[in-house]
Amino acid sequence: MLTYLLRRLLLMLPTLLGITIVVFSVMVMSPGGISAQTLVEGSDMKPQEKQALLDYYNKRYGLDQPPPIQYLRWLNNVSPVGFTQDEEGAYTGFSFSKGMDLGISFMYGRPVGEILGERIPITLLLNVITLPLIYVIAIVLGVKAATDRGGRFDVGSSVSMLALWSAPTMLVGVLLLGFFANVQYVQWFPTAGISSRAAQDMPFLPHWDSLWDVLKVFGCMSLGMVLAVTAVRWARLSVWWLGSLLLCGGVTGIALGMQFAGDGFVRGFLFDRLWHLFLPIVCLSYGGFAALAKLTRTSVLENLHADYARTARAKGLAEEDVLWKHVFRNSLLPLITVSAGLLPSLLAGSLIVENIFSINGMGQLAVEAVKGRDREMVLSITWVSGFLTLVGYLIADFCYTLVDPRVTYD
Amino acid sequence: MTKHVVSRESFSRRIWLKTWQGMGVRFAFAWIAVLVCMGVFAPFLANSMPLLMSKGGVISAPVLAYLTREDVVVLGMFALAVMLVLVPLGVGKRVVLFVLGTALVTIMVNLLLKPPAVMIYDQFRSPTYTEADWRIMPPIPYAPQDYLRDFGQTGLEAPLEAADRIHLMGTEENGADVFSRMIHASRIALSIGLIATGIALVIGIVLGGLMGYFSGVADMLGMRLVEIFESIPTLFLLLTFVAFFGRSLYMMMIIIGITSWPGYARYVRAEFLKLRKQEYVQAAVASGLPLSSILFRHMLPNGVAPLLVGVSFGVASAILAEATLSFLGLGLVDAPSWGQMLNQAVKSSTFNWWMAAFPGGAIFFTVFAYNLIGEAFRDAIDPQLSRKAGVTA
Repeated sequence: MLTYLLRRLLLMLPTLLGITIVVFSVMVMSPGGISAQTLVEGSDMKPQEKQALLDYYNKRYGLDQPPPIQYLRWLNNVSPVGFTQDEEGAYTGFSFSKGMDLGISFMYGRPVGEILGERIPITLLLNVITLPLIYVIAIVLGVKAATDRGGRFDVGSSVSMLALWSAPTMLVGVLLLGFFANVQYVQWFPTAGISSRAAQDMPFLPHWDSLWDVLKVFGCMSLGMVLAVTAVRWARLSVWWLGSLLLCGGVTGIALGMQFAGDGFVRGFLFDRLWHLFLPIVCLSYGGFAALAKLTRTSVLENLHADYARTARAKGLAEEDVLWKHVFRNSLLPLITVSAGLLPSLLAGSLIVENIFSINGMGQLAVEAVKGRDREMVLSITWVSGFLTLVGYLIADFCYTLVDPRVTYD
Repeated sequence: MTKHVVSRESFSRRIWLKTWQGMGVRFAFAWIAVLVCMGVFAPFLANSMPLLMSKGGVISAPVLAYLTREDVVVLGMFALAVMLVLVPLGVGKRVVLFVLGTALVTIMVNLLLKPPAVMIYDQFRSPTYTEADWRIMPPIPYAPQDYLRDFGQTGLEAPLEAADRIHLMGTEENGADVFSRMIHASRIALSIGLIATGIALVIGIVLGGLMGYFSGVADMLGMRLVEIFESIPTLFLLLTFVAFFGRSLYMMMIIIGITSWPGYARYVRAEFLKLRKQEYVQAAVASGLPLSSILFRHMLPNGVAPLLVGVSFGVASAILAEATLSFLGLGLVDAPSWGQMLNQAVKSSTFNWWMAAFPGGAIFFTVFAYNLIGEAFRDAIDPQLSRKAGVTA
């Protein structure tokens, strides 16, 4: 296992190198190329002054050298193992522990590493919340559709999943923002950012002034859930209904309880964050779970008709056991294969979502950097996102071994 | 005992018949046909100038005088396509004739046609054009770049808001008619979808074919290249390309094409790896055929059908890519585009629903249509899969 891991990590290196070469050559080949031109905007400057400033910037960022040298220098700075420089920029020695230096952004004038350090956690937060959500919803819908093959739920869900899958993120984002975060219609959600300014001073969890208010909210929630359970019992509905009704009952209960409770409610940091992230996450997740639900359905159906499932039924197992203990585990394999491809699409999706909801994550940074032709920033963002994708592939391969004991990498 | 039926219809015809059976697919094809018609006849459907007018006994057609080169090329291509469908010829010949004809039309148009360089749309609302004996206007009497400057300060207007003008879908931030822009944008969307996918397909087939046929070192190197292109999120790569190269329509097609080939290459490679050990390929090699003939004449037709699925999904994602780029403000500058209009839906915290609903709806339906077609092709081509998935064909 360890050798396999090492080999995979080593194989990542040429790929990462290739990514940076591709991106770098795109930038070099473009008309205008990479230069400090975007930095010098002064139209009120004399030509000589402008030229001098241009030369200064070109020299400072090493843009006056031929592209291959520029690339090698950049690579040397980025790689944790390489030659060290003294103050004049001459290469003096070779070190194995010089650390990574992503360079200084042209646009911001700050170290790229620092900026990325601020922005990446925000994008990752979005993706880390979205990923399990996608899987839970996809599995619930897909398994339900597969067991109901040819039925009303199956047909309805397969058409609506295809429709959801085709709905462009920007349309959904704009519609959600327009209808649910806008004074013209209903302003249930904030329009921008991932937390309000006031949230910095709030306690982490939501809390009320008096115990009595808490009891009221809790009481309403329990009442809603109990009602849901009774409704399910009374109408003899299936487990699926129980889950969704419980959720609905609970949420309505809390919402009602909030109306009865007094004013002493403080949202709390956590709730505030969730409130801000709700729309972006809806936007980011629907495409993924639509695609995955279709996949789950196909894969569960395939396994439901497999020989081993028939054997399991023949020895008298309940259909629930056949489904969850035998079929489900086997159906997970294609889902895990897909998860590798899900990460890049989530990164791309967060690029759009962050732009719509004005979230200062890596996606928005990418658009800004590309528009501003910020060489260091563009290079770093592409290789970091490429790296994240490759790590995603690696994790997917490891999950394979967890789910399917037949798969080994030795 | 079931009777054994011998089917004499060709494979492609069988796939086509199976695909055509679904109700959703018919709607999808119908929608795309509507888009094609809108794209081809855009200048006659939405334009500021009269289609035909008679003034003092002289009948003129201002629309024809103001057709751009692109308009004429598109019309020529459409006429060519219709003719080729009617003429009984093989598929390969049709494609070759179409490509040659398109090239010929393009060269002719560029040499012969001299459209007026400046368009001043306001003049078509001046007495020279309005005071005619009779005139026929297009259904939507506004050109996509007609910013209605003669009406004063116009901007975003909801549908049917203006008293003296009729804008069925409102106007955009510069004052141009949204419906007109939608019609003209369908041409851009469709052409980007088809041409970008075509470019990706050619690169993918050639690289994938070579990789699969030679295997060994070529395969290893090729797969690394595929991996590199796959592990950069496509949108990031696209952004970089678009921002550093110009913003022309053709550049955009090429860029979307060269960022989306790895999928096809991967597929063709796998197929060719399987095929290269087949007897007929060995026979072709033994009889000393040139490489191109072995690859494209003998091997490709046997592995091409499933590519149709990839192509339909590819067209959908290319259209989406163009819309996304335009939405992020990296698209074409002045030309109408669905994504760019969608971008104007939420501006400075006012929500202009018509800018979201119509262009967004158009993107959605187009992508949905291509995805439906792709699904139908997949089910038709892979009967085993469709049986397992419970799709009754």
